[in-house]
Amino acid sequence: MAIPALSITNLRKVYARGTVAVEDISLTVPEGEFFGFLGPNGAGKSTTIHCITGIAEPTSGKIEIFGIDAVKDYREARRLVGLCPQEFNVDPFATPRQIVDWMGGYFGMRSGLRKERTDMLMERFELTAHHKKQFRELSGGLKRRVVLARALIHDPKLIILDEPTAGVDVELRRVLWRYLAEINRDGKTILLTSHYLEEVERLCRQIAIVNKGRVVREGTKDEMVAEPGGLEQAYLVATGAEADHVAAQ
Amino acid sequence: MTDVSQDKMGTNWIGLYTMVRREVSRMMRVPIQAFIAPWISALLFIFIFGFVVGGRITEIGGHRYLEFVLPGIVMMNVVNAAFLQSSSAIYFARFIKFIEETLVAPLSYAEMIAGSLSVVVLRASVTGVGIMFMGMFFNATHIESWLMFLFWIVSVSAVFGLLGIIVGLWSKSFEQLNMPVVFFLTPLSMVGGVFNTVEMLPEWLRWLAWANPFFYFINGLRGSMIGFDETPAGLGVGLTLLLLVVLGGTVWRLYSKGYGLRE
Repeated sequence: MAIPALSITNLRKVYARGTVAVEDISLTVPEGEFFGFLGPNGAGKSTTIHCITGIAEPTSGKIEIFGIDAVKDYREARRLVGLCPQEFNVDPFATPRQIVDWMGGYFGMRSGLRKERTDMLMERFELTAHHKKQFRELSGGLKRRVVLARALIHDPKLIILDEPTAGVDVELRRVLWRYLAEINRDGKTILLTSHYLEEVERLCRQIAIVNKGRVVREGTKDEMVAEPGGLEQAYLVATGAEADHVAAQ
Repeated sequence: MTDVSQDKMGTNWIGLYTMVRREVSRMMRVPIQAFIAPWISALLFIFIFGFVVGGRITEIGGHRYLEFVLPGIVMMNVVNAAFLQSSSAIYFARFIKFIEETLVAPLSYAEMIAGSLSVVVLRASVTGVGIMFMGMFFNATHIESWLMFLFWIVSVSAVFGLLGIIVGLWSKSFEQLNMPVVFFLTPLSMVGGVFNTVEMLPEWLRWLAWANPFFYFINGLRGSMIGFDETPAGLGVGLTLLLLVVLGGTVWRLYSKGYGLRE
């Protein structure tokens, strides 16, 4: 049996102040999948991603990346993951080239390979003209491109994108969609969170919907889209927002 | 079946070197704050205490007052440079959240700590060497034992680098970050024997010098430079090594628990 790209079993995360961010999440993302991870704000999506990537410490449960324990063997597991976070967690005084190059260095890439990949990503995301500017001087869309290029520098097998198109223009969104579809075709596994259901519908094949720290619906995109009201209705019903909406009326 | 290699990683030397490269780049964005300010302050200390005031003070242990004072001035600045480097680096990275770049990377705790400390030692050494050069203009720079000189510069900067990491992880505001400098580092270094010997103090106050760790650091460096050391042989070295072990263990523990780093 093939080892999944990502396997989460009974993940629970309680923050120091007692806030339960993730109640009990279990899901499996097969290798090569384009997986949509949806849910309202505060549902536990980002916390789950933080637990997968090492930004947060899981309280309990198990996370495996290509069969490697993400907590116990964290170094081996992290080599396989690229994260494009929701927030710009970037040194604002560094240039795009430095930001991407440094990340490659952290992943142990030799300078020749780093340069080659950095040049390619700068070109691909149309950052070449801006590569000497400081990050803080860039527009929101350009910042998003830098963070994305940083996530891809080490050519990870599992790419986690936490709302990668939030606040970007239509043009970049389309560039990004094309690129993601392309690298997914090349075999990369992608976990995407987004509030744009159109984006999820266009890109993802499998979807999990979370609410209040639990997976409340899981299935293929096709089956959700085929339901009356499509993916939006499936999402609203799964998260309980539809019932709230009706009650309010 | 996936083809992902599950080989265990060895030391991530490139990652470690990248941490150093990155932090040096950050440090070089503020050369006035990092180097020029301590050098100017040291020059003023050398000029006023060593040259103007020192001209009226008789020799101490067969050495001119300026020669006696210079190791203390070097040590004060090494301590400050080491502490400020590590505390501000880690606090800034936490504050802006780009610390997450290292958390998601395949870097071990040892590599993260070693990366921080390498830059600490580099900055503290450059600061100290700059002051030594100034001392040469006043014919006050001597080295009796290069080995011990290096030991004191490297080990004391590592001690205060580790302390800076702890404070950088603990601080929740710039105010908290500056507290140890104002209430601990500056007062203790000033009364740690930079300008005077223990014998110059009133007898009832001498215990304060013996209880002050800076006294051992300053005397250790002074011993390596001009051969004048008031502390019992080996006590300062032992204390410094003990502090390295205790602080190193504490920092390791904090990193492995994710204190101040992970959510």
